[in-house]
Amino acid sequence: MSTPIISLSHVRFGPAKKPILDNLSLEVPAGHFMGIIGPNGAGKSTLLTIIAGLTKPDAGHIDLFGRCLNSKTRISLQENIGYLHQKHANQPDIPMRVYDVVTMGLTSFNQPLWHGLFADKQAEKEAIHHALTLVEMDSHIHTDFRNLSGGQQQRVRLARALVRQPKLLLLDEPSAALDSPRQEKLYKLLRKLCDENNMTVLMVEHDVAAITSYVDSVACLNKQMHHHAKKGETIPDEVWREMYGEHVNIVAHDASCIGCMPSPQNHSQEQHSQKQHNHEHHHD
Amino acid sequence: MIDFLNQFFNSPVMQDALPPALLIAFITASMSIMVVAHRLSFLTVGVSHASLAGLGLAVALSLPLLPTAAATAIAIALLLAVLPNRQGINEDAGTGMLFAGSMALGVVLISSTSRNEVDLFGLLFGNILTVSPDDMQWIMGGSILVVFSIILWAKSWWSMAFDMITAKASGIATSRLRLILHGMIGLTVVMCVKLAGIVLTTGLLVLPAACAWFWGRSMFNLWWLSLSFSLVGTLGGLMWSYQYDWPSGAAIILMLCVLFTISWAASWLKQQYQKSR
Repeated sequence: MSTPIISLSHVRFGPAKKPILDNLSLEVPAGHFMGIIGPNGAGKSTLLTIIAGLTKPDAGHIDLFGRCLNSKTRISLQENIGYLHQKHANQPDIPMRVYDVVTMGLTSFNQPLWHGLFADKQAEKEAIHHALTLVEMDSHIHTDFRNLSGGQQQRVRLARALVRQPKLLLLDEPSAALDSPRQEKLYKLLRKLCDENNMTVLMVEHDVAAITSYVDSVACLNKQMHHHAKKGETIPDEVWREMYGEHVNIVAHDASCIGCMPSPQNHSQEQHSQKQHNHEHHHD
Repeated sequence: MIDFLNQFFNSPVMQDALPPALLIAFITASMSIMVVAHRLSFLTVGVSHASLAGLGLAVALSLPLLPTAAATAIAIALLLAVLPNRQGINEDAGTGMLFAGSMALGVVLISSTSRNEVDLFGLLFGNILTVSPDDMQWIMGGSILVVFSIILWAKSWWSMAFDMITAKASGIATSRLRLILHGMIGLTVVMCVKLAGIVLTTGLLVLPAACAWFWGRSMFNLWWLSLSFSLVGTLGGLMWSYQYDWPSGAAIILMLCVLFTISWAASWLKQQYQKSR
């Protein structure tokens, strides 16, 4: 078996008595597209920051691409990681064209100025064009980043994460600023990158119904990994209740999607309308 | 006009003052785009005032002025980079506290020495006309350090200013580079104090980039513009200072303010013109 891209074993974050993440073990192979769901404060974003090397876990071990992640290996491992976070609220007011924003994603960017004299400008240009084409922002290449809409900015940020052609892509609610046709396009693109480029994608999302026909598996996270549903499997109601609380109202879904099919006995107990396409998690 | 320029460039005072003034203009213009991008203008206020503590120490212990002031300013700037993160105080409040505290220390130290030793007016408002060869050496050394750091880390600093989290995730040692940035800003501030004084230093480190901000579209673009504004401001200010016998630091800052107003008005007019088309 080939080395997994991500391998977490017994990872804990936060104090032992009141951990934010506890005893988390997970293996993700290359080319796998995983969705992570869970209620607010479940530690989903924290998990991504730990894998991205931004936060140190308090216990446990992490291997990325078969190498141990620690303060010495962090920077070299990060060359193969694309990461899109969700804290874009106070972006500074810096004049920059879309082209320059994507350029910052190249691994060769953070080099001394003289490096620019010897760099292969043409190859860089092509990589940037390609990344912007993937997110359909190539027509805005010379636009000032500050003049773009929230959704367009999000797509440019995604292009910045993609331009280095990472082996591992970590996305924290990438669809937050996107309308639903754009969301679909994004998930399709990610699926394609996994299939064709063997990229591994870990994506935190709230709407399980929207991602379910694209991802290979769904991980249910709330402090611990409650369930890991592969394609064709269901997420049992107990898992939903454990994650979101007792008062959650489980609505049945389209039978084709992962994780959303009610198990047979619940199906008869909870006389819900079928084919309804959203989850109603009434959590606080 | 030609006569005036002839006089200006040939006067012995200006021949002494121009090299350090233009060198400082070059350094401040380069650092100012980082100051504005990282929103560190209050840091420059804090550090420049804190250098009074360094000058106070130097006077009290009879140490050389500029080196002591430089060491103090860099120490304070580094402290400001470390302190807020660790203790949960925001950078703003941290700067405010250290700024007042070290200024107070400086005032006490200076007031307890004999008044004649210290040119307080020169310290507060700057005087480029009194740069000694020793000072010039210090300014040269500092400039080389700052330029070298810009060549090495300008791109990483820029990336950090745009998005700190993504910068860290893309493999930049952000904590270390942030410390270096603060240190280099501290060093630049001390060099400016000679030209513009404690009170006016911030102007030199904010105005050139602020003028450029309306027009720049990328880092290099901003740098060229900021440099042009800074050099024009410094030359123009010194000419005013020469013509009307104004204090040099204040004249330079005033000239930069005039340039800022022109730049701002021109960009506003350009916007109106684009809207009307």
